[in-house]
Amino acid sequence: MIEERGTGRSSSTRWFPPPSILWALAIALVVGVVYVSRDFVVILFLSATLAYLINPIVKIAESVAIKRAVAVTVIYLGIGIGIFVLAYFFLPRLRVEVDSFYQSVPSFGERLDAAIDTVQDEIGASYPAARGLLITREVRYSKLNAFIEQQAMNLPGILSHLALLVLAIVLVPFFSYFLLRDSRKIIQFILNRLPATHIETSVAIWSEIDRIVGHYLRGVAIEGIVIGVSAALGLWVLGINYPLLLGILSGAANVVPYLGPILGGAAAVLAALVQFESLGPVAKVLTLYVSLKLLDVIAIQPLAVGDKNLHPMLLIASVIVGGHALGIIGMVIAVPTVTILQEIAKLLLERRSQPGQMAEVDVDKSVRMQPYIC
Amino acid sequence: MVKWRWLERLTDHEQLRRLHLLERVPLFAGLSRRQLGKLLIKFFEKEYGAGEIIFMQGDAGKALFVVLAGKVSIYRAGHEAEEALATLTPGDYFGELALIDDHPRFAGARAQEPSTLMILYKSDFDHLIEGHSPIAIRVMGNLLKTLAGYVRRAQPQGNSRKDVTAESIPTKEKSMSPSERTGDD
Repeated sequence: MIEERGTGRSSSTRWFPPPSILWALAIALVVGVVYVSRDFVVILFLSATLAYLINPIVKIAESVAIKRAVAVTVIYLGIGIGIFVLAYFFLPRLRVEVDSFYQSVPSFGERLDAAIDTVQDEIGASYPAARGLLITREVRYSKLNAFIEQQAMNLPGILSHLALLVLAIVLVPFFSYFLLRDSRKIIQFILNRLPATHIETSVAIWSEIDRIVGHYLRGVAIEGIVIGVSAALGLWVLGINYPLLLGILSGAANVVPYLGPILGGAAAVLAALVQFESLGPVAKVLTLYVSLKLLDVIAIQPLAVGDKNLHPMLLIASVIVGGHALGIIGMVIAVPTVTILQEIAKLLLERRSQPGQMAEVDVDKSVRMQPYIC
Repeated sequence: MVKWRWLERLTDHEQLRRLHLLERVPLFAGLSRRQLGKLLIKFFEKEYGAGEIIFMQGDAGKALFVVLAGKVSIYRAGHEAEEALATLTPGDYFGELALIDDHPRFAGARAQEPSTLMILYKSDFDHLIEGHSPIAIRVMGNLLKTLAGYVRRAQPQGNSRKDVTAESIPTKEKSMSPSERTGDD
């Protein structure tokens, strides 16, 4: 403490930055650490997602006082057996599809060219006015070459993303096992270190975040599975090649709203085009994917996910940023991550405005207002 | 009942202890073991040091607490000194009005010795009873009986409505036995 000259008042010489600056620095530090260790963060995020999907079954076991470790191990064994059974029935078929796809890759370009030419001729014959809009082979080749050159330049990045994908496949089940087994201990460890005065609010916020995140992730997973299975069945009925591969792609891509269904539909359209070299089957596939999208929007999404949607601008921005930062995995996890952050931010902002309102309630008045007094 | 040794090894004895404790809580009287299990997984657990404040009088109530271990004292701030209302031991509960609304607490709570409490947050409870109306009916029925007990003891014979104030409402721990709380008398 020093005496201020001439005023006779004293003031502190120590300067503390305002809380807003401290918060900004803390957030910048967290963002920096997350960016530097982004590969690990992605694996942790995917592990937490898997843990959230399995957790309701673990909770059922916990409610009948079965040890958590035993429950998680049994569930993992069950999932392993399930995957084995699925692989036993579907892997031969999937392998045939993959082999056939690889064999057709060398001639794929030629067949695609031929198919596009045939379809363009078909369109030109039916609608002569549309001839001017059709693209010639030369223009197509120049655009394709430019695309391939660009991808070749990004090759190291693509390879590193593939390495991350392989690492994730190995590590995610491992990490999620321990997250599931020890989550109760982790939460209790954190709660025991929180000041008692904040415990009710902390538990409240954690409960709601847990419920929102769990509901959203499980909803997205259910939505993806329903869309994937429906697409595979639909393509199989239409007689399109690679129905299993395309179904898996459609289900996985569905996680990314708007872009995902377009990607899944485009792959199926391409397969139909190369296989039939005609517009009819392409139109059927397009109808199938539009119907699936409608079914998703009207029935599946409201039931499974609810109304937790991002603004389209924010959605596109998050997919672009996710794709730039982490490639395919980044695109897939960008929307769920931003949706979860949005919901958490909404919750925290709502809670921030509540304590003031509650503090204004007078104890005695609230007692008199209780209906049970009457 | 756990009869086989292998089943014994699978059983989480800590969780079983919590389940047995919840069976003794009057607020959950009449719930089946399965319903109690569903309720149990909604609880958080926290350890409190001796003398640590659990919540203060006037805090917004957001959760119900059940004493798992230790001792908790309930007190109300008076004009000059604190008035001790009750001492709670394992199996006792407090803060039950938070299951109804988040109005300020009538009294404060403090751990008298190192204690472990089970905490049930209102929104978790609401979420549970949304899909399980039998649990809701039973717990709310028990809660209503507790509140009816409050009112009866708050209104001596011939007392009119205008005499009822916060001060005239007795605490359940002082005036009611566990069986009385649930109206099982």
